[in-house]
Amino acid sequence: MTGPIQLDALGHNGAYRSRDRLTVSDVTGTPVAELSLVPRLFVDRAMAALRRADGVPADRRVAAVTQAGRTFADAMIDGLSVSDYQYAVSRVCGLPISVVRGTTEAIRDAAAHAYGNARSARPVGAVDHWADPSTRTGTALWTRRGDVFAVHASGNHPGVHALWLEALALGYRVAVRPSRRDPFTPHRLITALRAAGFGDDQVVLLPTAHSVAGDIIGGADLAIVYGDDAVVNKYAGNSTVRAQGPGRSKILLTGQTWRSHLDTVISSIASRAGTACVNTTAVFVEGDPTPVAQAIAEELSAIPSLRPEDDEAMLPVKPLATARAMEEFLLGRAEGTKAWLGGDGVVDDLGDGSAVIRPAVFQVDDAAAPQVGVEMGFPCVWVAPWSRAEGIRPLRNTLVLTAMTDDERLIDELVNEPTIGNVYVGDHPTWWFRPGVPHDGYLGEFLMRTKAIIRD
Amino acid sequence: MPKRIDPVLDCPLDEVPDAEALIQAAMRWHFSAETGTPYWLERAKSLDFDPIGDVRTFADLALFPNIVNELRTVPAEELIPNGLPERSELFGVFESGGTTGAPKRVVCMVDWMRRWLAFDNRNMDAWGLPRGLNWMTMVPSGPHMASARPREQVRSRGGILFTIDMDPRWVKKCIVEGRPEDAERYLDHLLKQAEFLLKTQNIGILTISPPLLERLARSDLLVDLVNEKVRMIVWQGAHMGADTRHILRTEVFPEVKLRGFYGSTMVLGGAFERMDLTDDDRCVFDPFSPYISYSVIDPETGAAVEYGERGQVVMHHVSKGQLLPNNLERDTAIRVKPLPGQLGDSVADVQPVASFHGKPVIEGVY
Repeated sequence: MTGPIQLDALGHNGAYRSRDRLTVSDVTGTPVAELSLVPRLFVDRAMAALRRADGVPADRRVAAVTQAGRTFADAMIDGLSVSDYQYAVSRVCGLPISVVRGTTEAIRDAAAHAYGNARSARPVGAVDHWADPSTRTGTALWTRRGDVFAVHASGNHPGVHALWLEALALGYRVAVRPSRRDPFTPHRLITALRAAGFGDDQVVLLPTAHSVAGDIIGGADLAIVYGDDAVVNKYAGNSTVRAQGPGRSKILLTGQTWRSHLDTVISSIASRAGTACVNTTAVFVEGDPTPVAQAIAEELSAIPSLRPEDDEAMLPVKPLATARAMEEFLLGRAEGTKAWLGGDGVVDDLGDGSAVIRPAVFQVDDAAAPQVGVEMGFPCVWVAPWSRAEGIRPLRNTLVLTAMTDDERLIDELVNEPTIGNVYVGDHPTWWFRPGVPHDGYLGEFLMRTKAIIRD
Repeated sequence: MPKRIDPVLDCPLDEVPDAEALIQAAMRWHFSAETGTPYWLERAKSLDFDPIGDVRTFADLALFPNIVNELRTVPAEELIPNGLPERSELFGVFESGGTTGAPKRVVCMVDWMRRWLAFDNRNMDAWGLPRGLNWMTMVPSGPHMASARPREQVRSRGGILFTIDMDPRWVKKCIVEGRPEDAERYLDHLLKQAEFLLKTQNIGILTISPPLLERLARSDLLVDLVNEKVRMIVWQGAHMGADTRHILRTEVFPEVKLRGFYGSTMVLGGAFERMDLTDDDRCVFDPFSPYISYSVIDPETGAAVEYGERGQVVMHHVSKGQLLPNNLERDTAIRVKPLPGQLGDSVADVQPVASFHGKPVIEGVY
């Protein structure tokens, strides 16, 4: 290939190569792609075009989303084979290539099941269409809350692009603002969706400056936004914006059986290079946490430092300066804790301007220690003591909680706790997922509503 | 008794003088007790060079310190040349936008306004714009120069002027105070007034700032009205990104001539977009040389950047009415080769600097 990959904006009139382009570099600083940034005027016009666009019948939407998933995962798109695409994401995001490959398959799968997954959220009392015979005697109809859906993606993991396919399947027109780290995945996916039959005014890619990003949300009926706690707080209480922040997923080990669950614990921490919101951030141990922390550290220390495109790579890689900044932040937060791994630093300089970020394991002496909420974008875990007397208080504010317990009262409490998203009991890693189960509630709960209908 | 005025400073309105002759005559004028401005006569005492003896060429203008911050406090009388003592020779006092702090004040003499209007008219004729078109301005009113010029222009070209009130400082204040929604409401308020005029009046020329024009472009109703009635849109008062300009030219207003004007109160005028640019060319601005001239420099070294490179814009105004040399503007631009015979540089793709004197630059609506 000659020159950087050109990632055009995908506007309502087709691809647009702007004069204002952002250089997207890999973890060593080598330019890989140029991303066309569009101005506010372009965004405003694209959002207006989405609003004006005609709907696409459900059966055609579903077929096209499925087809697009196959194209995304198999075909040559804009001169990039799927392995070219995966290599670029791996080198730019610093994600192990095996993680990117896995996500490619996950997106294919999500596309094939987008409509079915979305419909899992439909209340049992509601039907999909007003022409359903049951509407003659009166029933509930499941309908969209709006027409236009916006996505502010994050760059920590390409998997975020699996979810909004459900909105498209439900008949929303969709605008995606890519992250600067991974514009490749949404560009490839939207190009595939268009090739599969979606019009240019049905789904758009709007790379744009931060100052214009609000116009994409403002121009949509509903939006999903990925970000940190500040982003989550900004949109707290906003009924039209769903903010997805840190997951702070946790594992609870009760009894003295932790050694038999060690593989699940390690996998929960380190799978997906520790970059996802479903990776475990804290492990709570009934009894003495010391041997658990020690065992986790031993296992994680064996993971090799490799370049992200290496088939065997398991750890994230960042530009050296970014890695150093993350390390400094972590070591600052870890003061006063016992370091089992990474206490002297987590940066492993690859000598080419990039660095592997190695796992870290710290032990705190209190389940309520503030550190247990510190989520890092690499395998990093806080091991804390826990006792039944403390109850579920330290386990709150959790996307996924895996509990090794057979205490039904405890399980009841975890399931009933509103700030715990998902409860996995037994040997199921916090990243476990199957199409049809909710990730953080069903997206359909947010996208749809019911209304009463009766007709003659 | 009428003072003897160097004919170089009083050349016919449809001509321009030789650049070096103008600079030398202007130095003699502004730094002679009989004709100079009280401000410059006093300021000369603290200069480490002799303006009359040492400033003879365009390059010599860089000897002057940047005095624009002093214009925030100088009484206006001290900026009026002794050689033009009659108040009837004063067109008005104008203030800067207030983007970078307390407003700066300049005086505009009638003689200068006549010269400017003649230049303005030559440009409009060259653009093929018929005389007699009605004009609507959506630019700052009050102490700003932007709305004063069209008022004079319709008098000379015919047509009727329609205006709205605009206070750009209020918009900046809203943004600085973290109330962007108030700024948005104000823009909508301005556009509603534009809608009344566009619906009911025959508007041939629209002068508007880019942020307002972009917002206007969101309304199908207003876009249709502009496309139906307006022959030329003149945008000024804020930067316009190259992609935005391209979309406006090719998609939103394909039948309307879209022309940029890069103005600055601190030079009492500015530069029009170069003629015959294609949709894909950079937006190049050529100043009203030799009275107004630009340099594009590296602010670290003060040296000119290469043609095609971006640097910070320095502006000079040299005329009988005012001397405003060597003002480092808050803009950056690409340095472009000047038109034949033009003093200094032309500029392209103008953008505001992110911060100026340590403060963030808020463009706002103008």
